[in-house]
Amino acid sequence: MEVQGLVGLAPWTFIATIANLFIQVYLIKRFLFKPINEVLEKRKAKADAEIKDAETAKQEAIAVKAEYEQNMQEAKAKANEILANAQKTATLQSEEILREANAQAMAIKGKAESDIAQEKRKAVNELKTEIGEMAMEIAERVIEREISEEDHKKLIDEYIANVGDAS
Amino acid sequence: MELDISGAKILLRIPTNIPILGDILLTETIVMSWVVMALITGLCIWLTRDLKVEGITKRQAVAEMIVETANHFVVGNMGEKFRHFIPFVAALFATSVVSNLISLTGLRSPTADLSTEAAWAVVVFTIITAQKIKASGVGGYFKGFTQPIPVLTPFNILSELATPISMACRHFGNILSGVVINALLYGALAAASAKLFGLLPGVVGDVLSQIPFLSVGIPAILSVYFDWFSGFMQAFIFCMLTVMYISNASEG
Repeated sequence: MEVQGLVGLAPWTFIATIANLFIQVYLIKRFLFKPINEVLEKRKAKADAEIKDAETAKQEAIAVKAEYEQNMQEAKAKANEILANAQKTATLQSEEILREANAQAMAIKGKAESDIAQEKRKAVNELKTEIGEMAMEIAERVIEREISEEDHKKLIDEYIANVGDAS
Repeated sequence: MELDISGAKILLRIPTNIPILGDILLTETIVMSWVVMALITGLCIWLTRDLKVEGITKRQAVAEMIVETANHFVVGNMGEKFRHFIPFVAALFATSVVSNLISLTGLRSPTADLSTEAAWAVVVFTIITAQKIKASGVGGYFKGFTQPIPVLTPFNILSELATPISMACRHFGNILSGVVINALLYGALAAASAKLFGLLPGVVGDVLSQIPFLSVGIPAILSVYFDWFSGFMQAFIFCMLTVMYISNASEG
């Protein structure tokens, strides 16, 4: 069998090798790099999508939290308002009640005083009449004579005035 | 005992009368390079069978690792704009490695023929030149030879031509040395065992001395260096130089 030299260039081998190299480049690209790169791309896309989803979920959670906090704050403010209102109302009511109570007390006191004054006057008048009659009777019996009406009246008034002053 | 270390066998000669190129020779190198291509392509197809995005098989993990390694090697050394060179460099490396390792099976490796490495080196040289012209224009490319002073022009041309020659010869020399050493070792061991078993008397000695018993085992130790280490190393060096030269060329 013919053999080539150990070291030497064979033109057709040379050309065939160049062709083979490019064919090999195509084959390796077609059968290894294309499918694997596709899978890697897909995995990357999937990972990206998942990261994006997670980010969206995080944003949503943050929004929900902000809303919740705002709601909480509003509720707190409202509660404070209600409390303040209630306190104000209570104060007003208590003042009102006090005022009314004072007024009532004053009214009762005034009425009592006027009642007392009236009673006193009535009592004085009754007493005046009775004492007058008694005095007249006593005097008639004692001195057996009529005193003039005018003198009589004067005497009684003097007496009562003394009594009133003494009482 | 005669030891013959020769080049690739010519399996078929197709006579053509093309000048310079000569007859088409179907050599062992060409046939083995087809085998290598079939092996690589078959491996690629096998590795990329039923790919999945999730819950991948070990096979797919290996395939992905190969692709990622190739991507990192090319993009890391050449930059993102050379991404389209990944299949080229990968094909070069795969062909070189498989060609070097195929000698383990006792077949003749295509890289033990200077024509193979020369072809690769010329392709790489063409790409380098194309990148240089692309980077600095045709005028700039030729002007580059007269830098820094015109006297250096012949040396510049020489160093330019030395690139593919050194690349081809480095790879070829390493593989050829393996082939030569292996042939010498097998020859020596066969001769030794012939002598050793020839000492046996009678027909037994005659028969046993024809079988090179000593050739079993010992060459495997050398093949660790000449086939495995050298095979990977030369493929790696060739690809590394390719990548480096191309990326340097594109920088002008």
